[in-house]
Amino acid sequence: MAEMNASGGGGHKKGPKKVRGKKMSTRVDLTAMVDLGFLLITFFMLATTFNKPKTMEVNKPAKEKDDKEKEPPIKMSKTASLMLGARDKLYAYVSPDEIDATTELTIDSIDYSPNGLRKFIQRRQREVKQQWGDQDLLFVMIKPLPGSNVKNIVDVLDEMTINDVKRYAILEANDPIDSLIALKTGQKRKID
Amino acid sequence: MPKVKIPRKSTAIDMTAMCDVAFLLLTFFILTTKFRPQEAVQIDIPASTAQIPIPDRDIMMFQIAPDGRLFFNLDDQPTRLKLLERLSTAYSMPFTAEQKDAFRTLENWGMDIRSLPDFLSKDPVTRATIQQPGLTIDTTGGQHQVEDLILFSRQENNNLRIAIKGDKTTEYRYFDRLIQALQNRKVNKFNLITSARAAKE
Repeated sequence: MAEMNASGGGGHKKGPKKVRGKKMSTRVDLTAMVDLGFLLITFFMLATTFNKPKTMEVNKPAKEKDDKEKEPPIKMSKTASLMLGARDKLYAYVSPDEIDATTELTIDSIDYSPNGLRKFIQRRQREVKQQWGDQDLLFVMIKPLPGSNVKNIVDVLDEMTINDVKRYAILEANDPIDSLIALKTGQKRKID
Repeated sequence: MPKVKIPRKSTAIDMTAMCDVAFLLLTFFILTTKFRPQEAVQIDIPASTAQIPIPDRDIMMFQIAPDGRLFFNLDDQPTRLKLLERLSTAYSMPFTAEQKDAFRTLENWGMDIRSLPDFLSKDPVTRATIQQPGLTIDTTGGQHQVEDLILFSRQENNNLRIAIKGDKTTEYRYFDRLIQALQNRKVNKFNLITSARAAKE
């Protein structure tokens, strides 16, 4: 393989005065260099992190000052509430506009799969569109309980993007209804 | 029968082109490589369909381990030094030049700020083996160490974006503690770090 041809030079002797430079072949064996090159490539390929993590923007509502005049509250019939519980449980409900003795409230225990959460959101979008004329008016209240985990929140936020929900917020679960659900389902509500 | 003579060919191949390709690829990988920083804790991030790539610069990152320990990382070194100076005056702790230098290259850390000088004077190998207890976060009273970190860092670098890297299984209460601290410092917008995933239909 190695071809450092050192031939030539010998042969003709035409006098001692002219010392000719030896004619060397310019071919250098590159095998070792290629080996080295590929070794380094392998190293850098393995060391590179190709999959750059993505980010998800979260906007929290600013903390309100108590003395300021608040905006009028959103009609509950435009909302949907999601409560994220421990052990990947998810409770969805729609609060009625006004609560009285005859009010009936259904709470669905759904999951994070497309069949659960996505169906619920889409159903709510249709209902809001029927009632108010625009599905973008839907306001989703996301209420994580202390036992839920980051994955649950990311899943729910993701579902908002997938279904193109324009308005949603992460809120504290401090509604009386929330307390009731937390109590009924054996979830902790307060952060200790 | 006359034998067909197969001419003997040299086994040497011209490697020049191959060498060129190898080094071209090598250059590419060298230039694109960004080494994974040394993690103080292993974090398994959740997947989402979010498409925004994480910015390269001006990132202040909080990591939340599954057990709720909180780690802090500021990406650019000059800001880190300025932050250390601010901490030094706020907590009246003098730092030596070596400690400052150690802090400059410190990627992730999570401990009570008052134990920083002690930690920084250890050599890097010992430092890597120490189990860090996580930042001291206290939102009900006392010294708001995390809030101080947020405040000082943002004062030193106004363009900082805040990223939160939480493990899949980190419970919301730990997450909420951090968000409370952020909101107390008037940060209402932050980024959650997730890995890419295609939307399931």
